Amino acid sequence: MFSTPHDATLSEAQQTAFAVLLHRMINQIRHSLELPAILNATVAEVRAFLQTDRVKIYRFDADGSGEVVAESIQDSRLPSLLDHWFPADDIPPEARELFLKVRQRSIVDVSTQEIGTSPLIEGSNGAVIEGDLAFRTVDPCHIEYLTAMGVRSSLVVPIVAQGELWGLLVSHHSEPRRFTSAELQIMQLISDQVSIAIAQSNILEETRRYAAQEATINQITSLLHALPEMQLQQALRQVVQAFQGMSGRLYIASQGIHQPSQFFVEGRQPVLSAATNGLDQRSSPPVLEHHPLWQTWLDLEPCAEGGWLVDNIELSEMPEELVTPLLSAKIRSVLVIPIQYRQQVLGHLSVFRSEIDIERIWAGKPDQDDPRQSLPKRSFESWKELKTGQAKPWTAFDRELAHTLSNLFAVALHQRGLFQRVRSLNAHLKRDVKRRKKVEIELATLNSNLERCVLQRTMQLQRTNEELIKQIEQRELIIEERQRAEASIERLSHQNELILNSAGDGIYGIDAQGLITFVNSTAAKMLGYEVDDLIGQWMHTYLKHSKSDGIPYLLADSPIHTTIRQGTVEHRSGDLFQHRDGSTFPVEYVSSPIRECDRIVGAVIVFKDITERQAVEQMKDEFVSIVSHELRTPLTSIRSTLGLLSSGLIDDRPDKSKRMIEIAYSNTNRLVRLISDILDIERIKFGKVAMEKRRCNAAELMVQSTDAMRAMAEREGIKLSLTSIAAELWGDPDRIIQTLTNLLSNAIKFSPAGSTVWLTAEFADSHRKRKRVRSSGAYVRFCVKDQGIGIPEDKLDVIFDRFQQVDASNSRQQGGTGLGLTICREIVQQHGGQIWVESRFGAGSAFYFTIPVFSGG
Amino acid sequence: MTKRILIIDDEPDIREATQLCLEIARGWEVLTAGSSAEGLQKAAIEQPDAVLLDVMMPDMDGLATFERLQANPATHNIPVILLTAKAQASDRRQFCQFAIAAVITKPYDPLTLADQIAAILEA
Repeated sequence: MFSTPHDATLSEAQQTAFAVLLHRMINQIRHSLELPAILNATVAEVRAFLQTDRVKIYRFDADGSGEVVAESIQDSRLPSLLDHWFPADDIPPEARELFLKVRQRSIVDVSTQEIGTSPLIEGSNGAVIEGDLAFRTVDPCHIEYLTAMGVRSSLVVPIVAQGELWGLLVSHHSEPRRFTSAELQIMQLISDQVSIAIAQSNILEETRRYAAQEATINQITSLLHALPEMQLQQALRQVVQAFQGMSGRLYIASQGIHQPSQFFVEGRQPVLSAATNGLDQRSSPPVLEHHPLWQTWLDLEPCAEGGWLVDNIELSEMPEELVTPLLSAKIRSVLVIPIQYRQQVLGHLSVFRSEIDIERIWAGKPDQDDPRQSLPKRSFESWKELKTGQAKPWTAFDRELAHTLSNLFAVALHQRGLFQRVRSLNAHLKRDVKRRKKVEIELATLNSNLERCVLQRTMQLQRTNEELIKQIEQRELIIEERQRAEASIERLSHQNELILNSAGDGIYGIDAQGLITFVNSTAAKMLGYEVDDLIGQWMHTYLKHSKSDGIPYLLADSPIHTTIRQGTVEHRSGDLFQHRDGSTFPVEYVSSPIRECDRIVGAVIVFKDITERQAVEQMKDEFVSIVSHELRTPLTSIRSTLGLLSSGLIDDRPDKSKRMIEIAYSNTNRLVRLISDILDIERIKFGKVAMEKRRCNAAELMVQSTDAMRAMAEREGIKLSLTSIAAELWGDPDRIIQTLTNLLSNAIKFSPAGSTVWLTAEFADSHRKRKRVRSSGAYVRFCVKDQGIGIPEDKLDVIFDRFQQVDASNSRQQGGTGLGLTICREIVQQHGGQIWVESRFGAGSAFYFTIPVFSGG
Repeated sequence: MTKRILIIDDEPDIREATQLCLEIARGWEVLTAGSSAEGLQKAAIEQPDAVLLDVMMPDMDGLATFERLQANPATHNIPVILLTAKAQASDRRQFCQFAIAAVITKPYDPLTLADQIAAILEA
């Protein structure tokens, strides 16, 4: 707080006035933030208080010159200096330094030519101590200066605001007046209040500027972030306005093929000559930012924070080729703000200020005769100085704003670039989406068409499927029927095949051309072929079908082809078919036509090999012939003799009659034996004579047999030798004895007198010498051996057949029928034994037969 | 007219009875042979008017004997009558293949045998 200065020279009234003054000053400062008003009020109040002719407030300019910014004059006792400028030399630097450093206050009394000065010393504790007034003689130049100004006494107090020498509070009086230290102290207080007001005003001004700057930034920010498109042109306009420029331009560097460089201009622009760029003058003017000199200048010119700030291009290092067109466009100051996002230069924002004309009212004209102004000014008569083409320099505030805008534009342009890229991508995306939508629409259309087609096709397919299903069902039914039929056919075919192959007869079929179409295995086997060998062969050639006499049939004469030709059933017996090995065999066959639709398509031939049958028939014929012969022979004798006897022709010849009777009797016996043997054979063979088998002794049977034959042997001069065996047999003893006697009889018959016939028996296993005995169990093997004529080898196998005597006449002479061995074979076989002969012609024979041993139970 | 008949038969009873039949019935001269060999020999020597030839004989049957008689110019013209017990149809078909005068089947009628032979020879 201010305290009332206490000075002995200050009256009470003055003290009161001072208090009032101070109070009003404080109120004024408190109630007004407008510096001019405060300053005007201050000078008015101070002059009123001091009652001096003039009180003014002088403000220093940056170059040391100054201007009277507030003034109060008493009745024009002194000329007004308001708005008058004073050159820097009027208050030399050393004086300004004293004003600032020691807060030098001065009181000059021209009349006494004394100047009292008083520093304002700031203590170490921050307290301010006013120094005492120290008077000394004033500089004559100063006296002359004041005198020229019409001032007889003056009081000067520096106004220091915010550590800077802001200005001076000056009181002039045209009359000599002695300012007291109290007044000086009051002036100091007033100066301090003014300093506070200035500081407040500066703060206010700065706040306002910041507010304006903030508003500008906000506006620009809004424009830069406007949607859908950032308003660069408007932003540029705002920037130009914010810097109080005349024009500006925004250059956005190219960011690739898809983002070419862009320009936005506001206000008048410099026009560069094409020639300056080395281009054809007829070409369009080059863009400033693309101008190599511009780019070189920017490269060489140091870039301060906020950009390149050139107050006056004429005084800068800027090349003349650039300066000229800029000046031509009335551009004096250039601010180039780099727009850089991180390390990437996105462009430049340039603001141009026009040159200005500065009009100043100077207090006193400089002495032309004293170019150094070494002499005091003699006149303070006002004169106007007009300076054209002046620059308005860029301030720190401008720099700060430029820096902010640089960042702002950098972010915005970066975002714009991103946005453009995104938009480009979006555009691509949109195009893609559009194309895709178009494709989707086409696809949808196609799908729709396809679905319609599919639907139609589906319906068609369904109908087709239904028809197919019906057809399949019908076909399945047909197939089932066919399968059943095929199965039936296969079954039948199989059965037929089985029947055909099981048939004992040969069966084959031929087509109309005589080619074999089928043949059963029996037929193939009879012909010596495989079935497959015969299929497709011409049967007539293969069979070499010939008549029973061996003469081949001509095809036309073949009964089989007669069947094919005429459709008749042909039956033949005795024709010959040829075997594969070239031999022929007699056949009996039936050839029947195969008809199909009343047409003969072939023939089926059923044939059988009748070789065996023919042999049997031949044997039968031969047997019948032999039997007939054998029966007729004794009958012939009997009939002849009895005929003669009955005719009475030989009644007169008793010897002949007796002989005839003997012949008749002998042949009758022969006939009886023969008939008996024949009947025996047939009955034994066909089982009509049951073997009365029982346990019997082999030795007994052998003895009985030899006893029965002993008389005959003796008659023939044959010795009978018996070697029996004590074995129990299982057989019919009478039939075994019949067998033994038959064999003994034969042996005796065919043995020369004096020879021996042996009857032996032995146990035998299941083997005989030539063949294995089939039956199980042990046998007794009997043997009848003689020393007779023997049997030729070719007769050994047939000797047991009927009427197969080696010598029939001899046999008959011996009373044989030729059926004895046959009867023996039948008896042995009925016992389960076997009979055989071993003989060499001329060396006797040995007949063997086996009879099973009684095995008990 | 007296004839000379040669009987060739291996059965002695038949030879004896047949000989008696022919001798008594016609008073023919009857020669006999018990085998083919003997018969061929007698036929060639005796030149009978006819030969009664048995067929079934052990050493050489009647047909072979006939062929031998036919082959021999001395016996070629002697009529041969087969006197055989073989009376089957097949036998007959076989006999037809030979130039035999006649076949008389055993047992023949002893009272008409001579007449049959006479008729054959006269035919």
